[in-house]
Amino acid sequence: MMYGHKYALLSKKQKKKQKNKSFVGVQGAVFQKSPLAAGGNNMSDKIFIRMGDGERVKLSTAEIKEDISVGTMDAARRGRIPEMTPEEQEQLFEILADPARVVGVSPGEEVIVTDDGCSMSFYSGQDGGGVGIPMSRLQAILTYERACGADTTSMGHSDYSYKPVKPIINFEMNEYYTCSMMTTVPFFYGAQPNMGLYFQPDGPCPDPAELLLTGKIKEARQSQEEACAHLRKDLVFVGKKLAGVGCEGLNFDTCGSAGDADFLAALLALRELRREIPQMPVIMGSSGEFVIGMHGEVTFDGQRLAGMYPHEQVKVVEAAGAGIYGMAVNTNTGKSTAWNLSRAVTFCKAAVEAAQIPVHVNVGMGVGGVPMMEQPPIDSVSRVSKSLVQIGKADGL
Amino acid sequence: MSDEIFAAAIEAIEKGDAEKAAEIVRLGLDRGIDGMELLNKGFVPGINKVGDLFGEGRLFLPELMMSATAMQKVTDLLNAGFPEGKMKTRGKVLLGTVEGDLHDIGKTIVAALFKANGFEVLDLGRDVSVKRFIEEAENFGADIIGTSALLTTTMTVQKELQEELKRSGLKDKYKTMVGGAPVTRRWADRIGADAYAEDAGEGVRKALELLKK
Repeated sequence: MMYGHKYALLSKKQKKKQKNKSFVGVQGAVFQKSPLAAGGNNMSDKIFIRMGDGERVKLSTAEIKEDISVGTMDAARRGRIPEMTPEEQEQLFEILADPARVVGVSPGEEVIVTDDGCSMSFYSGQDGGGVGIPMSRLQAILTYERACGADTTSMGHSDYSYKPVKPIINFEMNEYYTCSMMTTVPFFYGAQPNMGLYFQPDGPCPDPAELLLTGKIKEARQSQEEACAHLRKDLVFVGKKLAGVGCEGLNFDTCGSAGDADFLAALLALRELRREIPQMPVIMGSSGEFVIGMHGEVTFDGQRLAGMYPHEQVKVVEAAGAGIYGMAVNTNTGKSTAWNLSRAVTFCKAAVEAAQIPVHVNVGMGVGGVPMMEQPPIDSVSRVSKSLVQIGKADGL
Repeated sequence: MSDEIFAAAIEAIEKGDAEKAAEIVRLGLDRGIDGMELLNKGFVPGINKVGDLFGEGRLFLPELMMSATAMQKVTDLLNAGFPEGKMKTRGKVLLGTVEGDLHDIGKTIVAALFKANGFEVLDLGRDVSVKRFIEEAENFGADIIGTSALLTTTMTVQKELQEELKRSGLKDKYKTMVGGAPVTRRWADRIGADAYAEDAGEGVRKALELLKK
């Protein structure tokens, strides 16, 4: 025995504990298990995984497989779409159970990563999800492009909503033009429609949330319709102005965050911009796995928007003229990454199958199966990315 | 016969038809069905179904509000028929989005579902200061203070509320609940909130659990 006389002095309990930390090799030699294996990152033992809030936990193979199964069933039931096949569920399990901290797709399977405000992460503070480096927007954009090897890059106002851009559009046009003279990869202007800014006290329309609570449903709907018209107008205004300085593309990010009328405004503006400026592509991203029905009755091309799931959202986004659809699936912080990712992959597969345009899945904090953390951990982000591309067949991230 | 009444109650709530719901209350009581049974086997399953459909994106906020109004009418009618004290509100809940945060859609949904489930709700709206939360809770006689924050930059106000409650000796007087996109159970544990809920439906369940303690 490798521990010699010291082993003989141990109690039964201590000996049992010691044996669990060692194993016998093929020629009878006794080896210590590595701390990683002993800790459970072994395919036959507990597997390191995270919860949706980022907490590190260890689950058994059976528990992870159960979460994958329940997750895909949940997505299928909600979206009325097919579940992942048993083979796909097994593939997802293998990706999650991979002992490597960082995983990736095989060479040749890489996809485009569209920028979603990444350069802002350089200069915004930690509470804004950034790292607080004192640098200008131009420096951040060029650093992201050249040092990080970005496929596309973008700039946006620090509020990241279109409405505040309107009064400062001339400054934004100048800044965009200056930056675009130095970037090589496609350079987008991005922000959120954020219809909430059109309600009192920030905007002209009565707050529908307050109206609804007092039972004034008709008035709440009217208010949203008014806000929708204001928002559409502002999105078109900003888009046209930026097109005037050669904007290479717009990003309508997180559409529908204030409900179905918010989503409608983005679709209408997108259609108008594409008709008038066909050379300027637009990415349209959603804000959740289904469009929230704050209004409940608004339609686009005769289709009710409220309650649309990704495979339905992509069809209206496509019809409005978007170049890329950015899919979002909310992460449940109380469930494991296995459960969350299983749902995201199931929704992704259905959306990609329905789409004629590329589907790029949001994999930021709290979406797509990525835990809700200001700095999402690379172990989760890389597993989410690999799974969405290899199993969900996402065209990009 | 009772089953038919219960089914009709579920349907009336699901459709948000307050008049029909009131008619079913009267019909059920006339036929000798106990008011509490009518509520628990008909109207409560109805509002639970509405909550589930809303969570799946199959029913929308205006419909949810109509269902909540119908439920309110039902509880008012049944309440009037009970001897005093038999049927009380399930609890008083004070809600608001924290100071600096103007997002109130999620909080509005929470308020609607709490009302629909028989809680007395005071919704303070958005951009609510810690001081106001405490003042209003005292005036309202709240059992629970629920705060919402959508931003990582504003969720710290939820922590400030906990600290202020402790400082003013009111921590044990109120149960506190937190929610919002960046908020997690771990955050709730860290700041000392009594409960965290992922969505409105879970909020109602957690509130009921808290009030049982």
